[in-house]
This record gives sequence, structure tokens and C-alpha cells, in this order.
Amino acid sequence: MTLTIALPSKGRMKEEAMAVMAAAGLPVRLNGDDRSYRGRIEGRDDLAIAFLSASEIAREIGTGGIDLGVTGEDLVREGLENADQRVAFEARLGFGHADVVVAVPDIWLDVTTMADLGDVAAEFRARHGRRLAVATKYHRLTRGFLSTRHGIQLYRIVESLGATEGAPATGAADIIIDITSTGSTLRANHLRILEDGIILRSQACLVRARKPAHDTDADLAALLAQLRDAADRNGRA
Amino acid sequence: MPQQLSAALAPGLGAASWPDFADTMLARMAALEASLIDIAVIQPAEPFLDMAGEDLRRRIFLTENEQGDSLCLRPEFTIPVCRSHIEQAFSTPRRYAYFGQVFRQRRQGDSAFYQGGIEDLGHADRPAADARAIAEALDLLAAVVPAEQLTVTLGDQAIFESVVAGLGVPAGWQARLVHAFGDADALEQTMARLASPPQTGLSDKTAAALVDRGDQAALARHIAAVMTDQGLSLSAGRTPDEIAARLLAKRLLERTRLSAPALAALKRFLALETPLSQATARLQAFADEVGLDITSALEPFSARCDRLAGKGIDLDGMTWRAAFGRPLDYYTGLVFEVSSRLEGAVLAGGGRYDRMMTLLGAAQPIPAVGFALWIDRIAAARSGS
Repeated sequence: MTLTIALPSKGRMKEEAMAVMAAAGLPVRLNGDDRSYRGRIEGRDDLAIAFLSASEIAREIGTGGIDLGVTGEDLVREGLENADQRVAFEARLGFGHADVVVAVPDIWLDVTTMADLGDVAAEFRARHGRRLAVATKYHRLTRGFLSTRHGIQLYRIVESLGATEGAPATGAADIIIDITSTGSTLRANHLRILEDGIILRSQACLVRARKPAHDTDADLAALLAQLRDAADRNGRA
Repeated sequence: MPQQLSAALAPGLGAASWPDFADTMLARMAALEASLIDIAVIQPAEPFLDMAGEDLRRRIFLTENEQGDSLCLRPEFTIPVCRSHIEQAFSTPRRYAYFGQVFRQRRQGDSAFYQGGIEDLGHADRPAADARAIAEALDLLAAVVPAEQLTVTLGDQAIFESVVAGLGVPAGWQARLVHAFGDADALEQTMARLASPPQTGLSDKTAAALVDRGDQAALARHIAAVMTDQGLSLSAGRTPDEIAARLLAKRLLERTRLSAPALAALKRFLALETPLSQATARLQAFADEVGLDITSALEPFSARCDRLAGKGIDLDGMTWRAAFGRPLDYYTGLVFEVSSRLEGAVLAGGGRYDRMMTLLGAAQPIPAVGFALWIDRIAAARSGS
């Protein structure tokens, strides 16, 4: 059986993913030149390598179109309902760190916790004639965290595909839910993460589509062990 | 008349599932002094999301028109009925009946299913209108599932609000508790925080000093200056005054702790569950023991019970539960559910939503109470029996 492994197609994520593969004794050769989106591993004709965008990898893992992939946990959890039932997070790879956070204007001195935000959301309609507006591209994570985890129902999502941190200043939204790695962009835009406002501490993960055929695949089990071992060494480094 | 109604209402879409008892039900509804209203299947999505919150988004069928407006298949009738009433500027009181398919993604059952119901808008005698809604739901169920053993559960947010106020809970905490009412987990968390409020510091030293002095005006000026400096609008969202006022209120709340006896009383109240026939006496006894005055909420509660009894309804067979409510900000008083005693399936649900009409844009507050019948579950109950 051929297993398809998807790796990020560009940037540091691609380099780091290739490095983990190499560290696991599975160096990836590109078919053709550097820009090829196909690859292979010398001596392992049972493995096919595909280069896809990180969000496409998250989606394809969910549908089972590929068997294994390297992508951000945030993208998997945003892209898939009940992610843990459909995919297995086999290893955390120690790079691509980013937290998905709830951030409010720093001058909201009275809002430091999700409970405070809940109070503000509850009163918002009465005070301003509209619901609290949340700029984000993470619809599913937002609903799960605000609605399910913190019982905050009364808000509206404002779709934001880029420069989300600017939304409060432009008046497009009141608060944001976005990824941050160092927090510097948030600070530059006078935004502050709520004390209990970290939705997910994300990093690049080796993710496997849950397929019945995988359960009895000894080669796959060995491959996963190799990759986990390399990821552990990468994590310690 | 009922035949014509059913012909007009049975749409091509899903007509195969037009329930065989629909005509019986429509005939019975026609006798309830309510005008049958026709609601478009495709609705603007905004009002639903605005009322019920973003969580609804994953349960409704959304699409967009060419202008990019969000549209959805109607997920329920109450909001469009209320919006139609406001748009037509009809006088109140006015009663509406509806019957048709609604569309929701559900864990169990089809995504398209029938609902029927009554919305009663503008009747100032709330106990009477509440009792009428319950009685009509039972009457309609009796017409189509006469053999079914039914249980009725009631709750009343007004009683909860009255108890919370009577226990001397500070206003800010009252709002939090009322907001969490109906969501057991959220309510428990709120009570835990009320027992030992979290303490927070302020890194903004100027603001901290002004908070210590309790100088709200100066605090608001300070906040306004920072907001202007950071390019934030002073009016588009939260205002400096609002932030300053809540900051001071929060500081006050951090110093207030609900006393152990009051917290114990609140917990005891929330655990109350009794046949409706004994609920008024039970509540009065509770209030006397704890030393509360909840007369303003208990009088309409008791009047509602009297009205129900006056309609020949057996209050012994109904259960009142203190903690039963819905955590949505437009519900204000009565909530009720009618379930099949054996199966447990909820066949009808309703309540009072006095805050909804103004939220939807009505110029004046309009009292409102209504209920919906789950036609697919009723069909299942009929075929089961």
C-alpha cells in the first residue's frame, strides 16, 4: 500500500518539515526541480510525497485524501469538526509555534478575563445597539471557545482574512481572535491577550488521517516511530 | 377552511412528509383566535444570528445573494413572525399561528421538519397570556396525541431575578447571575466566583491611582486621552465612560463577597423542584425562611397558576423547577416544556420573551409569549402509540 505524506509547499514550514524527515532518515528528493510539488524518498517506493499549502493539508487529512501530513494544529482544529475523531496528532514537531488568542484593546482596563468579556458581551447590545464584534478567520475555534467553553453567545463574527490586529482601530470590530507567536504585532496595535484567553497553543504537527487500514500496517507503525523519534530530538534541540 | 389552509401550506418541497394529522391540528389552531401567517422559507440570516448568537451559524443553512447578504432557510418561526408584525405595524394585542417546515442541522432527525405554534403579542395581562399559551399547547397536543401521557415542566426567570435581588447580591453580580440562568455550568462558575471574587491589579499606574480615589470623571478623561492617542474611536465601540464605570464597579465587586448563608440560600433555591400546585406555597415558605421579599414576582406567578387551574388544568401533574430557564437575553419570565412521559421527547416548548420585540426594532416594548410544537416528534409519538 502506498502512503501519501503531505508537506508544506513553501517557506520555513517546508524547510523545517524537510529537516524533520531527513532527521528521521527519510530525506525527501524532489521530482524535477525545486518548484516541483511532488517528491519521493530514496528506497521507499511505498511512500509518496506531496507538497501542498498548510491549510490544504489540514483539509485533505480530514477527508482522508492523504494519509499523513505536516501542518499547524490550529489549521486542523479550525478546519475539522470533531478533529480528534477524524485525525490523530502523532507528533508535535517543535516548530511553527503560534498561539490562537483572544485579544482586546489594551485600554479596556476593566477586561482582563473571559468572564469580564462575557459581561461586556451581555450588555453590549443594550449599550450600543449591536452585538460585540469579533474579527477573526478562526470561526470554529471562536465558537468553540466563546460559546461552548465560556458560555458567551452574544457576539458576532466579522470575517477577517488579514491584518486582523488592525480591526479594532479601524472600527471593523471590537476585539480579535488571531494567532500570535511573539505578541509584538498585538502590542504594536495596542491589543492585550486576556489572562485566560489562550484558545490553543499551536505548533506544526505530524497528523494522520484515521483510516481502518492504518491499524494493521506494521510499516506505518515503524515510520511513525521513526518520525516521533526525530521530532523528540528536534523538540529538545 | 382547514382543507384550504393545508393546501396552501403544503409546499412542493418535502410535501411527502406533510403529516397526516396536520389538518386536524390546523383545524384546532383555527379555533384559537390567531391569524395564520405565511412566512417565506428564505430569510435574512442576520436577525437569527443576532438574537441567538454565532453558535447558531453551524446549525442553520446559510447562503448569500448576489449582493453578499447572508440568507438562510428559516430555522424557526418566532423571529420572522415578530419581524413581520413590526414591519406591518399592526396594532396589538395580536395573535399569530404558523405551521410549516423549518430547517436546522440536528444530531438526530431530518434537517427539514415541521413546526407549528402560536405567538401572542401585546397582551398586557401576562399571567393570563402565559396560562393561555400553556393551555393551548396542551389542547393541540391532546387533539393529535390523545393517548400520550404528557409531563409539563415550568420555570420562571422573574422568580430567580427576584431571589437574587432579595439576597442582596450587588447589581453587577446580579446581572452576571441572571445572564447565566438556564445554563447550569455557567451559573455554577458564576456562583463560585461570587463566593471568592478574583482580584486583579492594574499596570496603568495613572488609572490605578484614579480607581483608588474613585474619581470616575478623571478616569474617563484619562482613558479618552489614551484612546485618542492610540487612534481608537471614542464612540464607535466601548466609550471611555463605560470603561471607567465598569472598572470602578468591578473594583467594588472584587471587595464584595456573597455571604455563606446567602450563597447557601441561592443553592437551595436552585435545587427546588415541586408540583406546580405546591410551588407558590413552597416559594413563600422559602422566602420566609431566608427572610426575602419576593412578592412582586410571586404574585404574577401565583396568578398564572390560578389562571391555569381556572382552565381546568391539573397543576399536580405539572412540575416547577427553580433552575429551569434559557440563557438567552430576550427570555424574561415563563419557560415551559411538554414532554412525552415515556419517551422523554420534548413535544412542545415555549415561554415569555418580552425583550425580543424591542431588540428586533419595535418602537415600544411589546409583551410576548408563545410556543412551538415539534411536529416530527409528535408524529413519532403517534406511530409509537
